[in-house]
Amino acid sequence: MTLKECYTALEGDYEGVLNRLRSEKMVQKFVLKFLNDKSHELLVTSMEAGNYEEAFRAAHTIKGVCQNLSFTKLYESSHLLTENLRAGYGADTDELVQRVEADYHQTMAAIEELQTGNPA
Amino acid sequence: MSFINGKKSPRQTILIADDSEMNRSILTDMLGDEYEIMEAENGVEAVSILQKYGNTISLLLLDIVMPEMDGFGVLTVMNKHRWIEDIPVIVISAETASTHIERAYELGVTEFISRPFDALILHRRVVNTILLYAKQKRLIDLVADQIYEKEQQSGLMVDILSHIVEFRNGESGMHVLHIRTLTELFLKHLGHRDSAYQLPRSEISLICTASALHDIGKISIPGEILNKPGRLTDEEFEIMKKHTLVGAEMLKALPMHQEEPLIKRAYEICRWHHERYDGRGYPDGLKGDEIPVSAQVVALADVYDALTSERVYKKAFSHEVAVNMILEGKCGQFNPQLMECLKEIESVLKEELRFDSDARASQRQMQNVAEELLRHEELSASERTLQLLEHERMKYSFFADMSEEIQFEYTVAPSMVTLSGYGAKKLGLDEILMDPHNNEKVQKMMGIGTLRAISNELRSTTPEHPQIKYDHEICIHGENRWMRTVGRAMWSTDEPPRYMGAIGKTTDIHDERTRIDALVQMASHDSMTGLFNHNYAKERIKERIGNRQTGKFALAIFDLDHFKQANDNYGHMFGDKVLIHMAEQLRRSIRGGDIAARVGGDEFLIFLEYKEEAETAIQRIFTSLEGTYEDFQISVSMGVARTDMVGTNYDKMFHAADQALYSVKRSGRGQYRFYDDTMQEMLSVISPIDGSEEKPDN
Repeated sequence: MTLKECYTALEGDYEGVLNRLRSEKMVQKFVLKFLNDKSHELLVTSMEAGNYEEAFRAAHTIKGVCQNLSFTKLYESSHLLTENLRAGYGADTDELVQRVEADYHQTMAAIEELQTGNPA
Repeated sequence: MSFINGKKSPRQTILIADDSEMNRSILTDMLGDEYEIMEAENGVEAVSILQKYGNTISLLLLDIVMPEMDGFGVLTVMNKHRWIEDIPVIVISAETASTHIERAYELGVTEFISRPFDALILHRRVVNTILLYAKQKRLIDLVADQIYEKEQQSGLMVDILSHIVEFRNGESGMHVLHIRTLTELFLKHLGHRDSAYQLPRSEISLICTASALHDIGKISIPGEILNKPGRLTDEEFEIMKKHTLVGAEMLKALPMHQEEPLIKRAYEICRWHHERYDGRGYPDGLKGDEIPVSAQVVALADVYDALTSERVYKKAFSHEVAVNMILEGKCGQFNPQLMECLKEIESVLKEELRFDSDARASQRQMQNVAEELLRHEELSASERTLQLLEHERMKYSFFADMSEEIQFEYTVAPSMVTLSGYGAKKLGLDEILMDPHNNEKVQKMMGIGTLRAISNELRSTTPEHPQIKYDHEICIHGENRWMRTVGRAMWSTDEPPRYMGAIGKTTDIHDERTRIDALVQMASHDSMTGLFNHNYAKERIKERIGNRQTGKFALAIFDLDHFKQANDNYGHMFGDKVLIHMAEQLRRSIRGGDIAARVGGDEFLIFLEYKEEAETAIQRIFTSLEGTYEDFQISVSMGVARTDMVGTNYDKMFHAADQALYSVKRSGRGQYRFYDDTMQEMLSVISPIDGSEEKPDN
């Protein structure tokens, strides 16, 4: 799987990210790094614990990373979640969390395939 | 390495504060080629790094949303400690709400970079920001230099001008300096006492500078009146009084600068520094606070200095007498507030004037300038540095006082030594000593030779190895004591390095040293008689022979005949006394350069050099040893060996003398004999190894 194909699979903006970071090598490096990012885990645990402030931060961080890597789909859902959690737990929160979950797994799957095709 | 102006400079450091490792990674990748990167993953870590590394950090890339302490928290801390003035901050945040941006700018943020990161834009912004701040810093330094120089120059000009005036009066140049010091002290204290008289620092500085001009009017007074050694006639006094008006006129006549505050103040002071609070002064008879405070203070300073200095028409009064005279109104009436000030700062006055010299004056000026700089907002970037400096100074003086050591600090220019409080007390000196090499008290205490030696040692060090250690004697309170001075030379950082001064401490090693001396003494002398012991004597003898290869030497061994009997009959204590007596006789009979030792219970050794023949010396010594001591008849047997007979080997000499001694014993004792070859044969027959030799009864 090429990097471009990976981006297609996770519904991201390949051209955009290449424009900004300027080197495919750098982009690939950080995309693979995303596999180790702990923010999602933090989001899950803090939601379970009811710590919405921390959940907010976690969502915010995910959003930031997605923005940097042009993971457009995951960016949008995490953005919505972030705004929602800014005010604390609300009516839509759970639904938004679900969306983020779904998009997150889609993104991870794509990257994992990229990794197996390109052993680190 | 980055190149600025073609010179290699060390890499600058950027601190990245962001809780996302991914983000930190990306930023590091983008910037890591050109800059050193430090990372913090939350606000608290960021603050602690800032605190530790201070201004060595050229830029902070700050995220807003972080755990523990967020970006705003960091900014608040940076503002509190004023780090924000020295370190530019670029906020990198996904938060783009305008309230956030506004708040960030209010807290002194330089730039806002939104996400997602664009390598090119980020890079450009970082470089530009760092460059901008560097320029700003340089400008600040330039301005600070200019201000300082300006102050120096104007102060210098005023000093020169007023010295010209003073010169004609026959007054010492110190008068101007004193007036300035006194004026400053009074004004400051007056302001503390009564807020009605409180003046800003710059005003006080101005008045002090203007005070130097108070007597310029005297230039119009004829020399005979100015320097008349006796009382002035009424006529002469009228002329003299005019110097106030003349001085003021001169200032008024300046074609320009009339609006300058310095001129206004100088005018006040010139014209009214002889007015008095009750209106009985001159020239205008102003009363109370009609007299500007500048003139009131200079009036008092002038009177005090006149009283305490020698003039053509009077001798100098002591400080105490002068203060009393003023307080009793003998020199006219002054503002009661001023009189209270005088009483309160009496002792300070005395101290300050004692030290008045160029160095002190420029020290004060420096302080003034420094405080002036602090007030200017644009320059308060340096305040942090000044605060750090102050902090270090406090630490140093605290530890110096606690350690109860004599600590010192010496600077070459101005030439002075500063002692710790404890040190000054211990040595009975002032804490600040100007020109220590020529200071009488210091010379008396340390000795000119020691001073010079220590100075040379320090100047011979290098910046890489700046430490010295030097043992020397000093004289404290009439007593000589050994001290050890450990010092560290201070070298400037330019090329070639200049010697700027030194710091160090001096500890009392007297007891240790005298103990060592005592031990050395014990190891080389016989404790009962005070003569050398055998080991030490042997060393010395070998040395002597080595130094004078062509000399003629004799070594004699003698002992007391029937000494055992003396002990038995009169007791051991008597025996000891006899030995001590013998030693004394021996000491008296030998010459300087001869070596005398106790080598056995009642055996002694003499070593001497002779010119013609040894017989005379030996005879002389032998005769002086015989005699009586408290009814006890002293008889001595002595054997002598000469180098020209037996050679210069010590053991051979000793052996030969010993053999000669034996032969004397065998022949009835009570005489001396020189070793000759016959004895050698004699002894080889009766060698003790056989066991057949019987030791003759002592």
